[in-house]
Amino acid sequence: MSNQYSLNDTVDAIVIGTGAGGAPLLARLAAAGLKVVALEAGQYWDPKKDFPTDEVGQDKLFWNDERLSAGTDPVPFGSNNSGIGVGGSTLHYTAYTPRVQPDDLQLKTDFGVGVDWPISFDEIATYYDEIEHFIGVSGPSEYPWGPARKRSYPMPPLPINGAGQLMERGCEAVGIKTSLAANAALSAGRHQEGLGHRAACANRGFCQAGCNVGAKSSMDVTYIPLALSKGAELRSECYVTQLVKNSSGRISEVVYLQNGQEKRQKCNYVFLCAGAIETPRLLMLNQLANSSGQVGRNFMAHTGLQIWGEFDEDIRPYKGIPGSVISEDTHRPDDADFAGGYLLQSIGVMPVTYLQQMARQRGLWGEAFKQAARAYNHVAGINILGDCLPYDFNYMELSDEKDGRGIPKPRVHFTNGENEHRMTAHADKIMRQIWEAAGAKNIWAYQRNAHIIGTCRMGHDGGANVVNADGQSFDVPNLFISDNSTFPSALAVNPALTIMALSLRTADQFLANRNRLNV
Amino acid sequence: MDYHYPAGTVRALLQTDDVTEATRQTLTERLEKPRRQPTFFQPDEAELLTCIIDRLLPQDNPAGRIDIVGVIDERLTGNQSDGWRYDSMPADRDAYRLGLKATDESAVALYGAPFCELPTEQQDEVLNAIQAGTPPGITWQQVPADRFFEELFAETVGAYYSHPLGQEEIGYVGMADVPTWQRTKLNDLEAREPRPIN
Ligand SMILES: Cc1cc2nc3c(=O)[nH]c(=O)nc-3n(C[C@H](O)[C@H](O)[C@H](O)COP(=O)(O)OP(=O)(O)OC[C@H]3O[C@@H](n4cnc5c(N)ncnc54)[C@H](O)[C@@H]3O)c2cc1C
Ligand code: SF4
Repeated sequence: MSNQYSLNDTVDAIVIGTGAGGAPLLARLAAAGLKVVALEAGQYWDPKKDFPTDEVGQDKLFWNDERLSAGTDPVPFGSNNSGIGVGGSTLHYTAYTPRVQPDDLQLKTDFGVGVDWPISFDEIATYYDEIEHFIGVSGPSEYPWGPARKRSYPMPPLPINGAGQLMERGCEAVGIKTSLAANAALSAGRHQEGLGHRAACANRGFCQAGCNVGAKSSMDVTYIPLALSKGAELRSECYVTQLVKNSSGRISEVVYLQNGQEKRQKCNYVFLCAGAIETPRLLMLNQLANSSGQVGRNFMAHTGLQIWGEFDEDIRPYKGIPGSVISEDTHRPDDADFAGGYLLQSIGVMPVTYLQQMARQRGLWGEAFKQAARAYNHVAGINILGDCLPYDFNYMELSDEKDGRGIPKPRVHFTNGENEHRMTAHADKIMRQIWEAAGAKNIWAYQRNAHIIGTCRMGHDGGANVVNADGQSFDVPNLFISDNSTFPSALAVNPALTIMALSLRTADQFLANRNRLNV
Repeated sequence: MDYHYPAGTVRALLQTDDVTEATRQTLTERLEKPRRQPTFFQPDEAELLTCIIDRLLPQDNPAGRIDIVGVIDERLTGNQSDGWRYDSMPADRDAYRLGLKATDESAVALYGAPFCELPTEQQDEVLNAIQAGTPPGITWQQVPADRFFEELFAETVGAYYSHPLGQEEIGYVGMADVPTWQRTKLNDLEAREPRPIN
């Protein structure tokens, strides 16, 4: 059962943040018998009671401290990119869980751009298998792309929805292969270790604003209950402000705010898992782990162009798991004039999200907008999720403006490079062809970049990277980072499954080397 | 195609067990909320914002008006953020104050009278110029017009379509999720999903 440690105890490890990067390793360290405490800025929600099926009412799931979005293609945050709460951004992730393909990890070798990963596909794949079975991923028995799998998905795919059927229809017409997608949501109820029964997906299409039945495999219903059952202590609503270094250069204490009170917890190791903006922000504020000068650099955001259309068919885009159908035929297109590639996904959408996107980019307003809004039930979309290269001009820094807590706001610079423009143009053409073949009218494009990646890059060389392949800081030996910030390249897939895999790997490497690391 | 849906659908569902208690509470509160007396906006600012929003999303629902200005005023009064802002924009409160002032400057420069006093066709031309980022007026140097338009319109749309009356207009009943959705395919509706009336 969950423990409670005193501030005078020196715990083995503090885990900061309980999202995709923090929760799996929290469970792993606790299971190994370590004294671990998780500090999470947000609340521990009870979804049945606390989650209305209402987008505005669910605003509480987003990290709403203001960030400044700069560059030619400013990246939106809040509901678009960052979560708060026990479970982090997995509380509102859409639950797409594709695996990377081996060549995703070696853009430098294959194309001469970006950097290669310091770990191999096989090292990651064993964790994929473990995670898919533990959290519950529903997917097809034969997935058409990527290397052979050890086992098929633990559960059959979720029922297809209207957008998925249209994507199948359009892709078939233009000669692109599709498959039902893998989603981290349960197609049948099942027992979850440390928690109890989890219900099957209600097909309510609301994943991006939180699952109120526990069907979505977010961290709060998977690795967090496991961690608690293995003895971890979870302190929610604890906002970390300082990592205190002692004279030997190790972090000896973590300082946080709880109910307006400052508290200090002594520790032997720190796992920083606060996400790709808050992690570098904490390091910068504490002037830590940055001898490479790379903290905050290499910021990446997936190419994520969406193509929307109106169809004669009644679709009701709020029904069914949003990411119903996938294709990876565009992983390495024959006619590509760019490095890397992308995948294609069908998208269901909640009304406020769709209509606000339309407000920002379709150009309509007044009566014309209202008419287009009344077509909501006939709307379906497809999008890409594509690689993004690291550039010098894309980075995060601290600004002079202070947020509500009196801490400098982060400013994030983002501009798509030539490679992203070419990939997006390629995808724009293909997706329009697919949607036209499927019967879409009034097609329009929503330009976007998704996911926040890469601000504390991992690699072999301490001069050019912030952490090594195990997530350990080159500068501060008892500091590890596990979240989306360590990715050396963006990858042509949604990130969460790979973040979880790296999280388990970091824990296992830590446990294996613990003696050498001298506790 | 122009679709229309029957009135009263969401309000009726809120009376049933097809919505969870949390959903009922949240949406009922929004539905029944009285019009807000602005506390952030000055009376003349609130009036101007109302004139602008009435062009951006004209309201003609006999069941009542959605208080969009009230939603914005409440957020700005509490100085709440949605997690980000364009670096090229001033802080939200300043952006609204400046954008409103600048809108009237444009109205005067283009048509010789404040925005609210213009006929709707001229109001729309002023808004087109703001949307395109090319309106006259010195204050626009402090707040980029196209971004002001985008932010204001996105917030307006959010307030309108998160309201049960706005949701009835577009035939959305996704909040009625307690029975789960078993008919997820094309043209396959459940009894509680409204059919268009055309
Ligand atoms: C709308 C949306 C849909 C998405 N859909 C998908 C999808 O379908 N598939 C996919 O793979 N990915 C998806 N993602 C992305 C995915 O959710 C993230 O990539 C992933 O959760 C990031 O994991 P992380 O560990 O880096 O950070 P997070 O999961 O964001 O966790 C960071 C945690 O740290 C906490 N924290 C931060 N600072 C502090 C502090 N100072 N003190 C204490 N705690 C702190 C935060 O509150 C948060 O809980 C989606 C994201 C969004 C926004
Ligand atoms: S679609 Fe399924 S997994 Fe997603 S929020 Fe709804 S019930 Fe949960």
